[in-house]
Amino acid sequence: MSDTLNLTLKVWRQASPSAPGEFKTYKVYDISTHMSFLEMLDVLNEDLISKGEEPIAFDHDCREGICGSCSLMINGQAHGPDRTTTTCQLHMRRFRSGDMIVIEPWRARAFPVIRDLVVDRSAFDRIMTAGGYVSVNTGNAVDGNAVLVPKQNADKAFASATCIGCGACVAACKNASAMLFVSAKVSQFALLPQGQPERSQRVEAMVAKMDEEGFGGCTNTNECEAACPAGITVDNIARLNREYIRATLTAE
Amino acid sequence: MKRQTGGCCGLCWLWSSLSSTIGQKIVMALTGLALCGFLLVHLGGNLLLYVGEQKYNDYAHALHAQGALLLVAEIGLFAMFVIHIGLAFRTSFANAAARPIAYAMRQSKQDPGPLAQPPSGVMLATGIVVLVFLLVHLSDFKFFSVTRATGLRHQSVPADAAPFARAVGVLQDPISALVYFAGSLVLAYHVLHGFASAFQTLGLRHPKYTPLVKTLSLVFAIVVGVGFASFPFWAWTFR
Ligand code: HEM
Ligand code: FES
Repeated sequence: MSDTLNLTLKVWRQASPSAPGEFKTYKVYDISTHMSFLEMLDVLNEDLISKGEEPIAFDHDCREGICGSCSLMINGQAHGPDRTTTTCQLHMRRFRSGDMIVIEPWRARAFPVIRDLVVDRSAFDRIMTAGGYVSVNTGNAVDGNAVLVPKQNADKAFASATCIGCGACVAACKNASAMLFVSAKVSQFALLPQGQPERSQRVEAMVAKMDEEGFGGCTNTNECEAACPAGITVDNIARLNREYIRATLTAE
Repeated sequence: MKRQTGGCCGLCWLWSSLSSTIGQKIVMALTGLALCGFLLVHLGGNLLLYVGEQKYNDYAHALHAQGALLLVAEIGLFAMFVIHIGLAFRTSFANAAARPIAYAMRQSKQDPGPLAQPPSGVMLATGIVVLVFLLVHLSDFKFFSVTRATGLRHQSVPADAAPFARAVGVLQDPISALVYFAGSLVLAYHVLHGFASAFQTLGLRHPKYTPLVKTLSLVFAIVVGVGFASFPFWAWTFR
């Protein structure tokens, strides 16, 4: 088996938010199977730059699966074919020489394209600003064990907090719904004592913001869970619904 | 967040909560489950077709003798349908609008289930088929005399036929038989996802009970599908 691949890429190119975009076809040769998907795009960009063409814009930062910057619909799958894997952690050995790979940006009204494969995900930031925090008084740090947290709640909250906010859930959902993201962010606080004081106003404000930003609603198809690189489960969505009902019925 | 309290009728807070994407789904889940309950009662009543002509006629007469009570139930049922269907279209359009530009390529990342097309992806389509089924069904029974008077259908069924004879007569109409048979199976497909999905929408998810809800959803879909589809089948083969 050869250790290098020759591939045909169909890549979405769009010069600006308002410019009409189109797919352009590129060929890349001698791609090492040990490369990540983004490194493969780096190779293509080096080639484009040397030819005097515009390189392809794509988001990335840590390249180790923790920051949530990278994105990309790869052959119609968010972050490509592997489960719980970001695009930056996707290896080229997942592909065969001669493959054609279609690369598109996340598609959602709430995530407008900025350029090529880069979309504006600041809608997520605005949802967080609406309620995705715990207010604390400044001053000395409180003693680590002053507030008791049951281990199983800490584990669940931690699992929810592993959401890296990449937007794959929105990208994969047929309704471009942000429910998995919002549910993880609501859950990580709802499960902890520190989250209790603002529990109701948080879920109400974050859901209102989510709707205002133009995301769709949840129809329980569970596609988000399968696409999530951080392994966030739809248990969180049930908890979000529960928190929402609770806040509706009891909050003052 | 500013909460709407006071003002209007005292329930504005509820209205505003139920208007969100989550709120609308909660209402769809509640109306959907209420409709599931109706399906069971309706199936139970009609299974009397197999018990005997007399029993079925007695049941139909007893039901219609309820008068005002029946009217209230019918209005409630009508409201459940209108709300469920209205929100179905409303949320479906809103969800479609959330992705104005479609992907050139789309592939699921879920493990393939036993069904080539998971029911969750085609709820509006199956719902619309059920709606057509419902309209034909209402024209056959609720508005039997009107439909018959048009001279287009059910001419072979006497205008004053007893409930049993009328049911058999209508089920032997080829259009009705086909619509009922196919409609029942599509309805089963709708509730296969719908029943379990409603629990998730209402936040009722638990490692002990959710597997049970999924099993019940399958059992319910089979009972509804086989139960209702059996009527036209029976009318054509055994009557
Ligand atoms: C006896 C008839 C019906 C029953 C028992 C029924 C039941 C249900 C249930 C239990 C749900 C789940 C709600 C949830 O996910 O939270 C549902 C969802 C839905 N129903 Fe129905 N339904 C019926 C008729 C219809 C009709 C006539 C339509 C449309 C024209 C329709 C369209 C929908 C849609 C679009 C959804 C949302 C699906 C989703 O969120 O994925 N249904 N239905
Ligand atoms: S670049 Fe940070 S997660 Fe992929």
